[in-house]
Amino acid sequence: MRASIQVSRLRRAEQFVLSMPAQAVLYVVLWSLIIWLVYFGTYPAVHNAAHSLRHHTLGVSCH
Amino acid sequence: MLSKFKWSTLVGAACVVVISCYAIAGFSRSPQASVQLATEPPISQVSPLEAEATKYLGSGRYESPVQIKLQARDAMGAPLQNARFHLQILTPPPTPWFTTDFPIVEGTKLLDIEGNAPTGEFKMQQVFPIRGNYQLHVNVNPIVENAFAPITQTLNLTVPENPLKFRYFLIVLAVLLAIGFIGGWVIGGRQAIQIGEVAPRRVRLLLSGVTVLAIATLLFFNVSAELVQAHASMAEVAPAVDNSGLITSQGLKLELTGDIQTVVGQTASFQAKLTDTQTNQPVSDAVFAIKSTQLENNWVAFAYQGVPDMKGALAWREQLFDGAPYSIEVNVSPKPDSKVQFQPFQVTREIEVEGIAPPMSVRMISLLYFTGVLTLGLIAGLWLQRRRLQVI
Repeated sequence: MRASIQVSRLRRAEQFVLSMPAQAVLYVVLWSLIIWLVYFGTYPAVHNAAHSLRHHTLGVSCH
Repeated sequence: MLSKFKWSTLVGAACVVVISCYAIAGFSRSPQASVQLATEPPISQVSPLEAEATKYLGSGRYESPVQIKLQARDAMGAPLQNARFHLQILTPPPTPWFTTDFPIVEGTKLLDIEGNAPTGEFKMQQVFPIRGNYQLHVNVNPIVENAFAPITQTLNLTVPENPLKFRYFLIVLAVLLAIGFIGGWVIGGRQAIQIGEVAPRRVRLLLSGVTVLAIATLLFFNVSAELVQAHASMAEVAPAVDNSGLITSQGLKLELTGDIQTVVGQTASFQAKLTDTQTNQPVSDAVFAIKSTQLENNWVAFAYQGVPDMKGALAWREQLFDGAPYSIEVNVSPKPDSKVQFQPFQVTREIEVEGIAPPMSVRMISLLYFTGVLTLGLIAGLWLQRRRLQVI
């Protein structure tokens, strides 16, 4: 009985994760992470590599 | 009869009051002593500093600072002679919803300088770090007491945004919309899950592709940082230069004192002083030419040429708005009609400027905008794909 409840919960979680809205959110969040890294991260390595790009993009603060 | 007389008196009195008011207002609008502002080039053609201009991105060159001319004139429009100017430049107010590339500089003081203007004209050069409306608070006082009434005036300078940034921004918008659209098109497609598959094949490919891209981006930044560090450690150590701000030449001592390190957003104070080494008396019969230069990319941020006060000193406060080393250079030369004649010489001092990371809130707002544009593209892709499938 307990095992079957667990299986149905897993099935529901799987269905949610594989649903179209969840995939769309995953896609947007993954890109959001890349955008953050390129334009907004303050680690010296990232900042220095993307310095000129940041100063030439409207709406992006650099330092 | 009596009431008629009272009414006419009342109307008459009212007319007198109105006419008096107009007369007072007219007097108050009569010409007054004022300060006129002019820039070279005209302010509409000026752009803020294009930081990190490269051959690949941007114009590839740094513009000269803008020349600012302030002319004090009396009520008749004639130049006021022997004036002492006190100029303060304030940067535009903060714009967290549409940030500039130097948000720490927003709403701060850029310059505070006092100088004599024998002809009533005060000239200096300044680079404007960001777009927006700068306020110039000007106080003009006579050098000879009571020669003219002091003037206090606030002038405005509106610096437009660099047009290059708008052009690049259209590309950024197009790329974000395209990325979102492709994602929406693929995710919105009709795809049956095969037995043993966790997600449709095309969606798996898409998400895996973006993950690989994220890994590649991380790798690129980390490897390039390692290479830069390796180059830096291999570079020869520069010989130690004299940074005392003191030089003696031809019986004269030129001293540059003040802050040796500062932070973006704050003004640093400096003072240059010329003294006769034999008599230890100040020399005020000289011309001081000041220049501050950002050393990473070698562009001039501020320049001024003026005469020192009676104590042989010239003091000013300026904000070094880029987090990089700067050099402050003061060149002294004799006035053409001066009794003390000497060969021009100069003192230079290097200043360390600490950059401040932009506030997290400002960065989050911009990230939201970018993610919002990408999401719009995704919704458009999903919607178009759905419509296509419905038609089929």
